[in-house]
Amino acid sequence: MTLSVLTTGIGLRQPHYREVFDRRPGLAFVEVHSENFFLDGGASMRALDRTRELYPVSLHGVGLSLGSADHLVDRHLDKLERLVDRIQPEFVSEHLSWGCLGAEHFNDLLPMPLTHTALALVADRVDHVQNRLGRRILIENISAYVAYSDCDMTEPAFLAALARRTGCAILLDVNNLHVNAVNFGFDSIAWIEELPPSVVGQMHLAGHAVTADGLVDTHGSRVSEPVWALYAEACRRLGPKPTLIEWDTDLPSLDVLLDEAAAAHAIAEGATEVSSV
Amino acid sequence: MSDLRLIQQALAQSIRNPQSTAVLRFLAGEEGLVERRLAIYRANVAANAAKALSAAYPVLHRVVGEECFAGLAQAYRHEVPSSSGDLSEYGGAFAGFLDRCQRVQSLPYLPELARLEWQVHRAYGAADAQSWDPVGIRMVAPEQQHAIRFKFAAGTSVVESLYPLVRIWTIHQPGFQGEFEVDWSVAERALVARDGLHVTVTAAGAGDAAFIVATLNGARLGDAAAAALDAEAAFDLSAFLSHAITSNRICGFSLDEDH
Repeated sequence: MTLSVLTTGIGLRQPHYREVFDRRPGLAFVEVHSENFFLDGGASMRALDRTRELYPVSLHGVGLSLGSADHLVDRHLDKLERLVDRIQPEFVSEHLSWGCLGAEHFNDLLPMPLTHTALALVADRVDHVQNRLGRRILIENISAYVAYSDCDMTEPAFLAALARRTGCAILLDVNNLHVNAVNFGFDSIAWIEELPPSVVGQMHLAGHAVTADGLVDTHGSRVSEPVWALYAEACRRLGPKPTLIEWDTDLPSLDVLLDEAAAAHAIAEGATEVSSV
Repeated sequence: MSDLRLIQQALAQSIRNPQSTAVLRFLAGEEGLVERRLAIYRANVAANAAKALSAAYPVLHRVVGEECFAGLAQAYRHEVPSSSGDLSEYGGAFAGFLDRCQRVQSLPYLPELARLEWQVHRAYGAADAQSWDPVGIRMVAPEQQHAIRFKFAAGTSVVESLYPLVRIWTIHQPGFQGEFEVDWSVAERALVARDGLHVTVTAAGAGDAAFIVATLNGARLGDAAAAALDAEAAFDLSAFLSHAITSNRICGFSLDEDH
């Protein structure tokens, strides 16, 4: 069942624009990838302006490469700043990752070593971005397939320290957490317990693929049962947070996304009721 | 910081080259599994680039087919890696790459098709034309008119071709209905422009094309008109200008008087 007004949102992708504009489903917010709108004008920008008239928007970046050992790409930040000025989004988020070195961009979210050096670097970058945008941003935990052997701290300790140093919020991607917990064999609930509830500003849910070499984050299917269970646990421990259904490959019908958003809404409501008893 | 750079250089190397083992000493876990996991990154990086290239070159993708396009995308990425975190900028050198590419020499129009599609891609995201009042042009004294510098709407460009480029582009549009025949004896100049939010691709006459190209390169009206007449003796300047202005293709002007 699709509830009339949800506390959750969906990633809005081009094939669903028309239907969303016509039906205007009751969503708390919609998310788009910032880089898809680094344009001067045209049909995409017009659609985003229209979206903004109907919903709070979350600008989710995938290309800033906050953790690159090289300097931050100013031109990218300029474009993000221009987009933020135009859209006045509810949220602006990026990832704890790197994606470029020298002139070469990999256009992927590559993992950071969890070291004091990396923390200092990313904290400086987050400070810089927040100063430029004049607002708090959210930093998301990524899915990873390899882990570094020399680490000074756990990922939640890294994220908590980053939030403490910069005042940024954490975007907890529950699917990414589950993917990593399975890929590297750690306890995902203990991971959540290390994160102060107040720093978490948003949660993401998505589907992943199961392969012989581990779980792969695909954003191409429904949220899996273990991720729903972990989400319920996260809601209980962290309190309900604005939550988003992400789906990027093999995009289903809008109704499937709305169903998933409704399911997340129901879990968040249920978790709040239980914890308030 | 230097450690961080070393680690990132090693992982970057491993993504570029599956044979590179430099990153392994920084990674935890059983080596065989780690190597298979690294392949996931390689596949993601390749897929993201190929998807972006296909988004910019949908007609070329349809023309050469899935398998060939995948091969071209892979070879292109190795020759010209992405240089931006914004993938809509990826693929700008694809036409030049195709010029040199042996495997598609049986389709000699591909580089020109790529040039056209890149201009279409850029026009899609170009600034929306602002409405303007062309009445000011009439205020320009006749002896100053040659010094008018017209401004074409963002996204306007001309792609010269030895082939029926506009026809090829048109019949490969989604939803195209009609004859698929192509008269290969025709050489077309493609005019790319924005009509509202829509990108249009039309065949332009030699005079129109020369006028637009000269103006885009900064020429004043007098010089642009001379270039157009050079290209096509029958070029009708006033008919061209009145259409370009009423259709908002020209969206402003400045006066660049002689000193």
